[in-house]
Amino acid sequence: MLAPAVLALAAVTLFPAIYLLWMSVRGLQVQAPRGFVGLENFRVLVQSPSFREATWTTGIFVASTTTVSLILGMALALALNEDLRGRGVMRTLLTLPLVVPPVVAGFAWKFLLSSDVGVIGAYLFRLLGLGWAPLGDPALAMVSVVLADIWSKTSFMFLILLAGLQAIPSELYEAARIDGAGFLVQLRQITLPLLRGVLVVALILRVLDAINTFDVIFVMTQGGPGTATQTLTILGWKTGFTYFDLGQAAALAVLMMVATVIAAMALIRRTTRAT
Amino acid sequence: MPPDVRRKAIPAAAAAPLRAEAASIGARRHRRVVTFLVYTLLTLYLAFVLFPLAWLLLSSFKTRHDALALPPRIFFTPTWEAWEKVFTAGILQPFGNSLFVAATNIVVALVLAVPAAYALARLRGSLKDNLSFWVLSTRMAPAFGVVVPVYMLMRLLGLLDTRLAVTLAHLAFNLPFAIWLLMRYFEDVPVELEEAAMVDGATRWGALRHAVLPPSLPMVVAVAILIFVFSWNEFILAFILTSFEARTVPALVASLAGTMSFDWPLICAVSAGAMAPAFVLVFIVQRHITRGLTLGALQ
Repeated sequence: MLAPAVLALAAVTLFPAIYLLWMSVRGLQVQAPRGFVGLENFRVLVQSPSFREATWTTGIFVASTTTVSLILGMALALALNEDLRGRGVMRTLLTLPLVVPPVVAGFAWKFLLSSDVGVIGAYLFRLLGLGWAPLGDPALAMVSVVLADIWSKTSFMFLILLAGLQAIPSELYEAARIDGAGFLVQLRQITLPLLRGVLVVALILRVLDAINTFDVIFVMTQGGPGTATQTLTILGWKTGFTYFDLGQAAALAVLMMVATVIAAMALIRRTTRAT
Repeated sequence: MPPDVRRKAIPAAAAAPLRAEAASIGARRHRRVVTFLVYTLLTLYLAFVLFPLAWLLLSSFKTRHDALALPPRIFFTPTWEAWEKVFTAGILQPFGNSLFVAATNIVVALVLAVPAAYALARLRGSLKDNLSFWVLSTRMAPAFGVVVPVYMLMRLLGLLDTRLAVTLAHLAFNLPFAIWLLMRYFEDVPVELEEAAMVDGATRWGALRHAVLPPSLPMVVAVAILIFVFSWNEFILAFILTSFEARTVPALVASLAGTMSFDWPLICAVSAGAMAPAFVLVFIVQRHITRGLTLGALQ
């Protein structure tokens, strides 16, 4: 029963993984293909300023989108775990961005923020007397892609945290109330400690996802203006598919794989321990 | 089906904190202020979520001239111009490609994953741990890491710009995903059901088909829908593996959005079309979806 799936999995995952490693140690530049080059791809990559810059950009992107979507998702989950009127409808509406293709999310925000036709970028900002060009200015471009990513990914945080909140027995809160504990005390003493496992899982899944973000940034800025929003994935795409240095791109992919697999292992340990 | 039961058994837990304080009039006013603030913030966030979608949909019914107008036109004569282009200008083909890739992924992934997940669910020991670790870590791999070797392989095999290439690449993500989710689910199906079936002379396959699958059908459907959503929304693999013939809807959106002469209403119409199926499907089985999206991590 296992064999067909294991074979298929090996074909579609193991094989590419090995092939990736093999590519990363070869010179595959289209102009001057060479054979085995050892770790040269890695050396050149790690020493290049664009790699360092992209690592830094990725760090800023990941840190900001993760932090904001975690806090927002938590606030939304706490609010919609209460007995509010219209709760069901609001939960459903908040889930929507989850199934919007990230490419479409990126396009929608590009459309809104464009300084030529955008309701926000061209109209609202001018109306408010602001000379901002959200996608043309390096700092604002970063804010813009983070904003679009938050729009796209907060739903996920909201859902996973809401599911976590719903698993906390309500008796605990009743007992706390009898003892006269207010909202903040309950949050600190009951909610956060009991939600810790879920929070960690949510955070790791979100960080992994943020490191690999491509769609939104690609559609909105393609890494620009200049290299202001050029994360590691965008750099990898440019290296491999614009400059056609696939060996170098493979080396970058290997580094990213290693980083994410380490993070994933931490997550898997945690989840398997939980059950 | 424990998760569902649990969810129903524990209704909205923390309704309490605010209500408890409503002892005095002052507290009641305080509570009203808090409720007002919560609603205001929720409304603001909902506006943030819904505005881009509404604007996209609205703009798809504008003429190119109306779409570019500043100040933006909220009232305008609606037109089917952009939508007509979707149906006539050969733009329908990517929708067909996306459907093909998604449907093939559902069938192939489920056919392979259901028996494998069942076998894994009933397996014990280190083989199971290792296999399920492999399955899950595969799912965690960054798409970009897969893109580079898969592109080279497809180029060598002469499969670039074919639906088959995209289908295979998506399977690399959908198959482990399906195995993992179904395995976690089958683990909760009582073994007694199968044992009873096998006492009656059923084989393992028979037990799977008659005792395990029927109660698991909602989850199988949910997994199918998640596979659909993945394939329908996936961009980087489809974008790099295709150029024209086999490009999927997200690849089309990106290439339209990347051209210099923007036809904004057309891109809006294509985008709206791209959102439609996933929207519909997800709301059919919303409850099971959460679990799927979190990789069953909260079980």
